Amino acid sequence: MPLVALGSLTRRYGDVVALDDLTLELEPGIIGLVGANGAGKSTLIKILLGLLEPTSGQAQVMDLDVRTRGHEIGRVVGYMPEHDCLPPDLSATDLVSHLGQMSGLPRGAARERTAEVLRHVGMYEERYRPIGTYSTGMKQRVKLAQALVHDPRLLLLDEPTNGLDPAGRDEMLELVLRTGTEFGIAVILASHLLGEIERVCDFLVALDAGHLLRAAPLRSFTERTGVLAVEVEEGREALAAALAARGLTVVPDEQLLLVAVDDQGTYDLVRDAVVELDLPLVRLEARRHRLEDLFRDEGRAA
Amino acid sequence: MTGPADTQPTLATSAGGSIYDLGYQGYHGSRVPRSGVVMALLWQTLRACYGIGRGARAKIVPLSLAVIALLPAIVAVGIALLLAQAGPAAARFEGFSPIRYSTYADIIAVFVMLFCAAQAPELFGRDQRFGVLPLYFSRALARTDYALARIGGLVAGLSLMVLIPQVVLFVGRLLMAPDPVTGWEVESPFLLPALLQAALTVGILGGVAAAIASHTPRRAYATAGIIAVLIIPPVIVQLFAGVGRSGLDRYAALASPADVLEQTNDILFRALAGTSSGTSRDLPDAVYLVAAVAWIVLTFGLTVRRYRRIAV
Repeated sequence: MPLVALGSLTRRYGDVVALDDLTLELEPGIIGLVGANGAGKSTLIKILLGLLEPTSGQAQVMDLDVRTRGHEIGRVVGYMPEHDCLPPDLSATDLVSHLGQMSGLPRGAARERTAEVLRHVGMYEERYRPIGTYSTGMKQRVKLAQALVHDPRLLLLDEPTNGLDPAGRDEMLELVLRTGTEFGIAVILASHLLGEIERVCDFLVALDAGHLLRAAPLRSFTERTGVLAVEVEEGREALAAALAARGLTVVPDEQLLLVAVDDQGTYDLVRDAVVELDLPLVRLEARRHRLEDLFRDEGRAA
Repeated sequence: MTGPADTQPTLATSAGGSIYDLGYQGYHGSRVPRSGVVMALLWQTLRACYGIGRGARAKIVPLSLAVIALLPAIVAVGIALLLAQAGPAAARFEGFSPIRYSTYADIIAVFVMLFCAAQAPELFGRDQRFGVLPLYFSRALARTDYALARIGGLVAGLSLMVLIPQVVLFVGRLLMAPDPVTGWEVESPFLLPALLQAALTVGILGGVAAAIASHTPRRAYATAGIIAVLIIPPVIVQLFAGVGRSGLDRYAALASPADVLEQTNDILFRALAGTSSGTSRDLPDAVYLVAAVAWIVLTFGLTVRRYRRIAV
């Protein structure tokens, strides 16, 4: 049974196509959903949750059709929205246990689960205070806790690190990783930051303007260990030709050349090419987060 | 189980008192069916009606209004009991009391409306204001379930406010009766009209409040809107009373929920308990009853439709 199955899934807002003819099957795991803002990540998540109706096509979550069995899907998924969704005058304990009941837990079980889940996300004494007094990091933890309280089989996280500082970001990703790997809960994590996806996901779905660019295990992306940005003061075209002749994937980007790093040898090839052409080298920089630029191009070619 | 150290040396660390991080635990217990989830939300809504589960300040307005609505019944029963003690001659004065089953709905109507105006925005606007709806709609209940649970909670809360005073009157008068059997014979005919009128009151006022409050996340707008629809039309109807009561304008009063309720109260008590009042009506009785049911169906329908359509 696939975790998620999409068949020609399309969603339009008036004339705007948010998702265009998406066909895809996903197996359980930690799945990264990557794309720029507006690529259709949130729309896809909301359709899977039954919050939005597809315009056409099919979508199933664990063999449950999103159109007809939304409330059954609601029992087995947890959702962490991108935006604020917490009433400020309730405490984390009260809110999470109420939402646990709304997911089908009996009252007593909802209370017990709330205590466990808030501890899991690292909320202690402050969980009895009104949420309005929390920091952004604490609010994000409460959002994660409410998504976990009913022990879902699938967790849908929409930009879970939004608004967090680097330390908070690391902690949130660590939590997501632990939840996904140690407890066997499938995760779909939407982010516009490829770096985050690379750190926690084992499968990657790339969207661009509603189109599916690529869906593949992360390994197939990271066999190429990243992107090297090369800047030369002159002779950019000559260098691009020389690198391409050496079998490297090269994409021009403004005054830079983006080179796909296949292995350690790539660095030597770039160095040798620059020396050979005797070009004034300004910069050699690892640009992992620009990986998407490369496969976006591949997507167009395909 | 004996001490771990002597039988299983591998457990020595736990015997030494190490603390383990149990981490995340799965849940393998029972789950509640969909109807149970709806009931849980209804129950939470009923509590929220009276500010229970919220801070102390949230309780002041609803509880005060409910107590004010109860006071006339307590006063009436108290005075009647005192008069009964003073002897049969004095007890006859009780017959002049203006506080009766048939007048109670009118007496407390404005407080019930204020209750609606104060509490419905809490029940129907709050989740929109704070963006909580996606958390509900992505769970084990459908959008319609959510709407029905919220409406049900408000209806239950209003029913308490409207029915408890009638119960106090009823029990008080039973206690005053010479014997319980006579008391029951005299008082029981009032139960059905009181119950039906309470149902219409709760349905119409709650329905109007829910329909308005569910259409705006803004508290102040909702409160103002509810007051505007419930309290202002009766004033207009009064202003135009006696002016041109021949044509279609007689139907204008049906657009005022409060006036419809005033009429159904009179109709129900006259038909079912034989009370008489001086109220004269411009339209046949059935029209008011149909209008009352139409108000309930319309407002509940609008509320459900709102939650089915709202983008989250």
